This record gives sequence, structure tokens and C-alpha cells, in this order.
Amino acid sequence: MYPRTQSDLVSPTVSAFALSSLLAASPAAEPADDTDLVEVSEDDVDEYGPFFVEEAPSDIEFLAQPRPRTLPVLSVGNGSFCFVEGTFCKASMILSADIGAGIRAPASDEGPDIPYAQFTFRGGFTVRPAMIRPNRSRRKSWGAWGFGLLSSWSRGTGSITQRGDAQSQEVDSTDSTTVFRIAAVNQMWLSKRNHAAHLDFTFGGARSDVLTSGEKLWGTHAELAMGFGGWGGMFLSGDFLDRDTRVVLGFRGHGIAAGPIVAMALAGLAAGGAL
Amino acid sequence: MKLSVSVLYALLASQPDADEATAAQPDASSAATDGDAATDVASPTEDPPAAEPEVRTPAAESSPAVSPEPEPEPEPILDSERYTVAGGPDGPPFYDDADTASLRARHEIEVEPLERTEGPRWRCLIADPACGRSVEVNALAAYSFRGRQGDVSGGGNDPRWHSGRAQYDVWLNFPVMTEVVGNKKFTRMTLAPKGGLIASDGGSTWGNLGMAFRYWLGRGRWAPAVEFTSALSFKLGENARGMDNERGDWTMTRGPVGFTADVGFGLGGFGSIVVGGQYDSPFAREEISDEYRTAAGGAFFIGFRGNILWGGPAAAAVATHAVTQRSVQTP
Repeated sequence: MYPRTQSDLVSPTVSAFALSSLLAASPAAEPADDTDLVEVSEDDVDEYGPFFVEEAPSDIEFLAQPRPRTLPVLSVGNGSFCFVEGTFCKASMILSADIGAGIRAPASDEGPDIPYAQFTFRGGFTVRPAMIRPNRSRRKSWGAWGFGLLSSWSRGTGSITQRGDAQSQEVDSTDSTTVFRIAAVNQMWLSKRNHAAHLDFTFGGARSDVLTSGEKLWGTHAELAMGFGGWGGMFLSGDFLDRDTRVVLGFRGHGIAAGPIVAMALAGLAAGGAL
Repeated sequence: MKLSVSVLYALLASQPDADEATAAQPDASSAATDGDAATDVASPTEDPPAAEPEVRTPAAESSPAVSPEPEPEPEPILDSERYTVAGGPDGPPFYDDADTASLRARHEIEVEPLERTEGPRWRCLIADPACGRSVEVNALAAYSFRGRQGDVSGGGNDPRWHSGRAQYDVWLNFPVMTEVVGNKKFTRMTLAPKGGLIASDGGSTWGNLGMAFRYWLGRGRWAPAVEFTSALSFKLGENARGMDNERGDWTMTRGPVGFTADVGFGLGGFGSIVVGGQYDSPFAREEISDEYRTAAGGAFFIGFRGNILWGGPAAAAVATHAVTQRSVQTP
């Protein structure tokens, strides 16, 4: 039978002797560390949870790393309103221009699918209703959810309709397509970095020319976009009207960046006599 | 006595750090005066670590099929062998300059890395290796050699002509590869979406959206860089033409999605020499009437692309755009 524990083998006297010998060789006890007695202010008590965790600090940074800002870029009212959407903005202005291309799919008896392209100007605002501040001493607050109202105007390429059979086919076309939209956007901000990426889900109505009918009807507008701060992003957008569906993939830039592009393009066309 | 040596060996193997031993000292001292308590104090050694060689498990005992192999006899140490232990430094650092040089050589670290202190221009609105994420607006002014594929029913008409090209783009820059010098980080490679407008003769205007790539070959403000962009391109509009090829108003014009790509060699975020091409897909579906069909086309171009904040690139692009409209007759 094997011994189960060391205490089964050793008499108390022997073990006490060995233990006292070891303890005699140990260093003397040091005084208690004073840092255990630091007083903590109530203002510095951090909340705990995923919404309160800030980005991990790093020992290295870009040479051009902006100084820690207490306020977002191009903001007023202590960050209450931003002219360029930002990670820590409580409310933001939306002003952008975009271009996109895709397909126009009429009803099957109205003709084949044709290419479609458009340029768009968009405006509106967003708010962040549920922003949480990590503690009272820090001014930056953050929340993943954003909500807003948007309106946009687009000029797209025209429509072609071909009705009837091969013997008696009626062909018609338009030069362009004008679209006006009003929609609500829900945003999900994906991080707390400056100019963070966010997913935008936009749903609303679109009023537009329908094929070659000459009629303007209301339809549904839906868009899924990924934005990078407020400076730009890419989107997949669709307008769904009666017998007329358009889906485009596009790129969007804030008005501060897109404005000069529009101005230069118009200046070039005008100076060249093309307008 | 043999038992006490065994206990001492086990205690040494499980001896905590000095701090822990110090913290446990008062209790242990009192335990040394009480036999029962001493047994309790020794009880943590009931599960000795794997270093305890004398305790064998019953599982090993009850497997007669596996007989342990005899351990090899250690080689005897000859009286003539002598061993010495090299004395090291008494305290840190435990390495010297030669060790540091060896480590640098092993990992190909520069001995004296080039330090840069000046920051970027225009708060990173002009691309710079010192910047992380940024946005910029670029304008391209280029000579373009355009062509259009003829219609097989039209006798092989295949026009080619000299023209100009202006392109205005927004670039987003995301650092996808960086390098660290000291405690500073520099961007080596950026890759991000971009989009904008392209213009040529006859009021031809395309939209484009794609990706822009830039690889910095240095860390300075004027560091050379290689750029590569590729994008989908699609017709937005052009000047309508009458029966006698007379120029009409600028109107929206449909066209299938083509693509454009270019390579640039630049200095800093100032500008780059760009060589590229574009392809316009034909709109030639069988169901579409002939009057709406478009032929395949394309262009090669070489020019200069720069950030519009410098002024010059923007002026050059607008001037190229205007001159192209006035001086080039679209076939």
C-alpha cells in the first residue's frame, strides 16, 4: 500500500523542524505598500461593461497623430452638432454627393433590363439618442446607435421600353430619370476610433419617373451603406417603383470633398462650351 | 531520517516566492509550536508536483504488460575533467553593445534609423507617410488616345483619335501596412475606396468607383510612392449630336459598366506621373433596337495627377478638360 499524503509519512515533530528551518531562511517582512491607500474620487470610478470600454492605448502612434481632442472635428456646442459626422458627435449634418451604377429592371412586358447610372445630392441630419459617457471626468460619450432623416435628389440615365411582339413592337425612351427621396436612416457605429466605420440602413420613399410613362409615382427606397466617419463610403441602393426597379452600387463623398469635384467638372464643361 | 529528507525535498519543491513566504511567516511560526497545526501546515504538500519521484501511481503499478525500460547508466565522470562556470555581471544590463548589434543584424533593424520630426502638410489632407487614415481630392490632366470599335455592319468603321482626359477623384486612405520607428508609426501601404468623375471630348463624362492603392518607398514628406488604382467606370452623359454631327446639349447617356486602371509614380502627396487605360463595354443586347446600342470603346492615357490643394493639379485638370472640349472633334 502506497502512502496517500506526505503527512501519512511524517511525524509532526519532524515536519515542524523542517518547516521552522525553512522559515528561518526567509527574508524579513517588508512594510505594506502605500499605493494600496490611494484615495479614489467618485468622479474617477469607471463604469464597467462593453459600452464603457475605451480603445486600448498604444505606446506607438503616427507622427501626424492628432492631439487628443475633446471635441469632434468641425463641431459646435461642445460636440452637440457636427458638420462632418464623427464617432463622438451627438448630432450631425448630412451633406454628400455620390455616383452609382447598376441596372434598371422593368417589368418583363416592358422591355429588357438596361444599364443605369446616376449622380445624387443628399442632405439631412442624424442624432445619437443613446450615448453613454464612461465617467464624469471624461467629456467624450459614445453610442453605437444613430438615427436620422435624409432627403436626396438624383439624376439618372433614361429608360427604354419595348412593348409588343416582333411584328408590332412599340419602342420608346427617355433622356433621363429624376428621383426625389425621403427616408429614415439607422446607423450602427462599429468602433470608437475617430472617423470610425458605420453601417447605415436607410428605408423610405422615392418619387420618380416610371419608365417612359411620363408619370411620377411613389415607390420604396432602400439602401445599405458603409461609411467611414462622415467623409465617404460605399453603398448598395435600390428604388422600387411600379414596374420599374433600379439597383445601383455607388461611392459617396462628403460635400467638403465632393463639392470641389463638382465645381471642377462644371468649370471644365462650361469653359469648354459643353454646357 | 530518510522520511524527514523526503519531506524537506517536497517542501523545497513547493516553496512559494519570497513574498509569499514572508506573508505566511506569522502563521507558520505559531504552527511550529503545535504539533497538530504543523501537520496541517504541511498538508499543502499532499499533492506534490510532478518532480516528486518517489510517489508512483497505482495505475502505473497495475499495468503489468508495460515493463519500464531500464534507465541507461550515466557515464562516469573522469577525474581529469574540469568544469568552470563563467561569471556574469552582478546586475543588469545583462547584454552589451555586441549583443545589441547581433540582435539588430538578425532582425534586419537599421542601426541608426532616419528620424523625422516635421509633420504633414494640411493636416493629412495631402497624403503623407506620417498620416494614418486620411482623405484627399486628386485631379488628373492627361493626354488620351481614344478609340471606338466599329460595327461589323458598318464596313469596319474603327475611329481612333487624340484627345485629353480630366479626372477628379476622392480618395480615402486606410493604412493597411505600417512600420514603426522608435515610438512613431509610419504608413507603408494604403488601400481604400475611391470614386469620382472622368471627362473627355464631346462632353463625355463617366463616373468611376473603385480602389486606390499607394505604397510609400520612404518616410519623408517627399517620399516617392507607387500608386495603383482600378475602378468600375460608367457613362453618365455627353453632348448629343445631330444628324450633321452638330454638337447639342449635354444629356444623360447610358452605357454598361466598364473599367479603368492606372499606375502612378509620385513624390509625396504632391503628384504623380500616371499611365493607364479605360475600357467601355458595348451595349449590344439583341433585344435592344439599333438606335440605342453603343459600341465598345477605350483609351490609353498618360498624364499628371496631384492633390488639388496644391492648386496646380486642379488648374491643369480644368484647363485640359476645357481645351479638350473646344479643340477635339469627336468622330
